[in-house]
Amino acid sequence: MLYKLQKKTINPVQIIGYAITLTVGVSIILILFHLYFDLKGLFNKQTDVFNDNAVVISKEVSAFKSLNKNKIYFTDKEIANLKKQPFVKNVSYFNFATFKINAFTNGRKDIPKFYTDLFFESVPNNYLDFTNKQWTWESTKKFIPIIIPENYLKLYNFGFAESQGLPVLSKNTISEIDFNVQISGNGNTAIYSSKIVGFSNKINSILVPDDFLKWANKKYGHGNKQKVSRLLLEFSNPNDTAILAFFNDHNYAINKDKLEFSKLLFFFKSLFLFILIIAIIIVLLAIAFVLLSINLIFQKNKKMIVNLSHIGYTTKQIAKFYKLVMFSTTIIAVFIALIISYLVRNLYLQKLKDLFEMENSSSFTVYLALIILVSILVIYHFLLNRKVAKITKL
Amino acid sequence: MQIVLQHIKPTYMMDAEINASDIYLQKNIVFNSGEFYLIKANSGNGKSSLLNFIYGVNSNYSGKITFSTNDQSSFKIDKLSYVFQDFKLFEALSVIENIQIKNKLTNFKTDLQIETLLQKVGLLHKKNALVKTLSLGQRQRVSIIRALCMPFEFLLLDEPFSHLDNDNIKILTTIIEKQCKAQNAGIILTTLNNDYLFNYDSILNL
Repeated sequence: MLYKLQKKTINPVQIIGYAITLTVGVSIILILFHLYFDLKGLFNKQTDVFNDNAVVISKEVSAFKSLNKNKIYFTDKEIANLKKQPFVKNVSYFNFATFKINAFTNGRKDIPKFYTDLFFESVPNNYLDFTNKQWTWESTKKFIPIIIPENYLKLYNFGFAESQGLPVLSKNTISEIDFNVQISGNGNTAIYSSKIVGFSNKINSILVPDDFLKWANKKYGHGNKQKVSRLLLEFSNPNDTAILAFFNDHNYAINKDKLEFSKLLFFFKSLFLFILIIAIIIVLLAIAFVLLSINLIFQKNKKMIVNLSHIGYTTKQIAKFYKLVMFSTTIIAVFIALIISYLVRNLYLQKLKDLFEMENSSSFTVYLALIILVSILVIYHFLLNRKVAKITKL
Repeated sequence: MQIVLQHIKPTYMMDAEINASDIYLQKNIVFNSGEFYLIKANSGNGKSSLLNFIYGVNSNYSGKITFSTNDQSSFKIDKLSYVFQDFKLFEALSVIENIQIKNKLTNFKTDLQIETLLQKVGLLHKKNALVKTLSLGQRQRVSIIRALCMPFEFLLLDEPFSHLDNDNIKILTTIIEKQCKAQNAGIILTTLNNDYLFNYDSILNL
């Protein structure tokens, strides 16, 4: 009877309008959180095996230096000077192979047949943030793990594979491919099996474990003293402003990829924040709109509410119907928003999975939807009780 | 139950306006359940206000109103029933729905009892008619029946028969008196004129 009376006071168009607006707002928020957590994993994931606090430096190659090759090497004095800098924690060298290397496959039908000359370098393990179990070398096992620049994969996927009609390879797929490496020198030859176990953006080189290269250089190498053209620097604080100034003064080249990536990340975060603010405004406007509507309903039906109170209905009993309407509408809207957010996520994941290795994100979005839902319901619970109480106490 | 009024006065009235009142500004006015009280006053002298003060829906008064029972949370469904001067019916609901909306709260009367009461006051044939289609007299009868759909210790009646003919008044006074006696409930009835429809225990001028 009470509901029959109160049902007549509700304007369904306003409630539907509220539900649609809330669905849109909450959908955007949830999609943003899906995106944030999916892409956060991508940004934060250690895609680069190279330690974040380390860089590779070399001397800028000018027209003059290209004529005099000795100018691209670091002298002992320069290295000693670098070691003295307060922001430098550690200085190391690249080791490179001084023997002949060939890589080839045996021509399995799912892997294109190839044969190529290679070069190997190595860096001390403390410069690598790498926990892959395969990144070890044991003289008893005929296996060499390899890290290649990520650009090589991109070059293959977007250049070679496209033009030759070959399949596009993900990092995981390429890591599954076995191939052979033949090394020779000093009259010795050996064939090892090999796999790509990691990728780097920062080191434009093909890396093998330091232990292996030291051992192999002794056995297969020519033994000449290695000149240093690139140095590995580990910083105590990579954000120190003195770093860039020092490199500019000494004309040393430093990899600026990280800086570009930071700009992209900043842009992404700003855009994310901007859309999030707009979505929150939409949700707040939806809530404000429906509260205003409810307020108008209460004002318009003030006499009815007062009469109900006068014949013995409590504030809670009078507010119950309006709460029921608001609660059910909000629950449906948030539920639909959650479904929409997952549908949109599936759509973009289909696209992104072709390009990146995506991990399954946590169910945080469901919790967020629950938090939004409970927060809105709590607001309505208190506000509706308060509004009814205010009218009945007039 | 006892209702005690001490130095009661509407805040919107001057002391001079209530010089001769038996209630306003009196030291101690006691209403006992089981007793019938008539409160007489001219129009605008605060009859409805007084009942609203007692019923707890108007607090624009100075002085003190106390009840012998402390728990006042459910007064409106088991202690005080009120026949409002303006009926407080819901025009969008039918006669029976207007009565049921109260009875659902109290579960005091059966459907049959309600229909019997409607029959007695000549409204059974209007049971499903919307209240907005009723005359003032018919609405007054509905509001009285609705007020009887709860257990009470006092029945507040604010000019309850102002739109009724003598026959209906007689029928309703019999019904009200019977229910009050059955519950040992009191009546506080306000009127403009001398009204001897009940055997009052006390007649007070407001």
